[in-house]
Amino acid sequence: MRVAFKITRSLLGRAFDDLRRSHPFAAERVGFFSCRVGALKPSGWVVLAHDFHSVADDDYLRDRTVGAMMGPAAIRKAMQFTLSNEVCMFHVHIHEHRGQPWFSGTDLRETAQFVPDFWHVRPHLVHGAVVLSLDSAAALCWHPQYSKPFRFSDFSVVGTPMSVTRSPNEREIRETKFLR
Amino acid sequence: MNERYERQSFLGSQSDRILGGCAVTIVGLGGGGSHIAQQLGHLGVGNFLLIDPDRVEESNLNRLIGATAEDAARRTQKTLVASRLINGIDPLARAERLDGKWQEFHQFLRGSDIIFGCVDTYRDRYELEITARRYLVPYIDIGMNVHEIEGGFSVSGQVILSMPGCLCMRCLGFLRDDLLAREEENYGAAGGRPQVVWANGALASAAVAVFTQLFTPWHAAHADCVYLEYDGNNQSVTTSNRLLQMRGRQCPHFPQRSDLGDPFWIPEKF
Repeated sequence: MRVAFKITRSLLGRAFDDLRRSHPFAAERVGFFSCRVGALKPSGWVVLAHDFHSVADDDYLRDRTVGAMMGPAAIRKAMQFTLSNEVCMFHVHIHEHRGQPWFSGTDLRETAQFVPDFWHVRPHLVHGAVVLSLDSAAALCWHPQYSKPFRFSDFSVVGTPMSVTRSPNEREIRETKFLR
Repeated sequence: MNERYERQSFLGSQSDRILGGCAVTIVGLGGGGSHIAQQLGHLGVGNFLLIDPDRVEESNLNRLIGATAEDAARRTQKTLVASRLINGIDPLARAERLDGKWQEFHQFLRGSDIIFGCVDTYRDRYELEITARRYLVPYIDIGMNVHEIEGGFSVSGQVILSMPGCLCMRCLGFLRDDLLAREEENYGAAGGRPQVVWANGALASAAVAVFTQLFTPWHAAHADCVYLEYDGNNQSVTTSNRLLQMRGRQCPHFPQRSDLGDPFWIPEKF
């Protein structure tokens, strides 16, 4: 099964510009990508980033144990947008390094708690989280019919130049890419 | 780097891995598409989806790369000719064939990293571009044309890169309502759909260059949108004036936040 994420280079640039701004007290910024989904053949789905949603300065909580902690208002606004616009929501933040990023233990624990909450407003969609590095990305996706999240097979930045980060298990993806 | 690709090492130390992981769809495996399939096979592209409903005929042999007289006699599927060509160059390349109209298999296109459209009609181009934009897939269109002019014929053609978020083929004036409406009228004047191998080859080569720049850029001057015009009478390929006029403008036909994905996606258990 293939799970793909696609985003235009211009939208990714907009997210980077926002997420790399300094915050009055938080050590980093977070945001959301609203996305739509398409079915892939032979099996799987593609998540298509549609817009970026910044988290307002006032919607962060003071918490020295993490780089950034969203308050309830940030999540409530994201859930409202999901409800009103019938979109998937993917939390996003940056790890300031080059190369393949991955979620920290804290990232995994926190996202596993709040991402499934989006099913309360849009139960038939996938939701998830994206972590960006300066030149790569990784993403996890929660599907309503599975308890564990899926790791994305590939993360494509669509623009000039094209950039496709393949999952480490590239051989498996290659073998199932166009199979019926 | 694989010894096979040493002469193209200027494409980058990771270029064979990038191209080997690339998933390319070619819609139309006739005069233009067969050239593209062959060149991408040489380049090291690892995954192909080949779509064409047609079989080889005698009249194709003036331009169909890889096709033989025996293929015409046996009426071999054009996708089979292309997959044979690709795997003759690289036996490890995956070349999946879909023998039918691309609209029957549109869900398969979404998984592509890029789509090459080598189709005959404006309607197909229009629909392919819509599909590609909806699933954020870059689309490269090629086509050639022959018009009767005073004292002979004019051979021309185009290569267009339609990149999601950038100018589309309507913005570039290549697709217009009047052209779509007049589709049924044969717009070539030198017999049914005139095609020649050298013009197809020139256009396909330019299209493959556009693809290669996108995935393994070897210089800094990348273009978000490409509209190349081929003048087959002067053997030149130049950037369209229309594109030069439109550069920097936003596409009104596919706005940045236009509809993406399936209108009604249903989560299935796999």
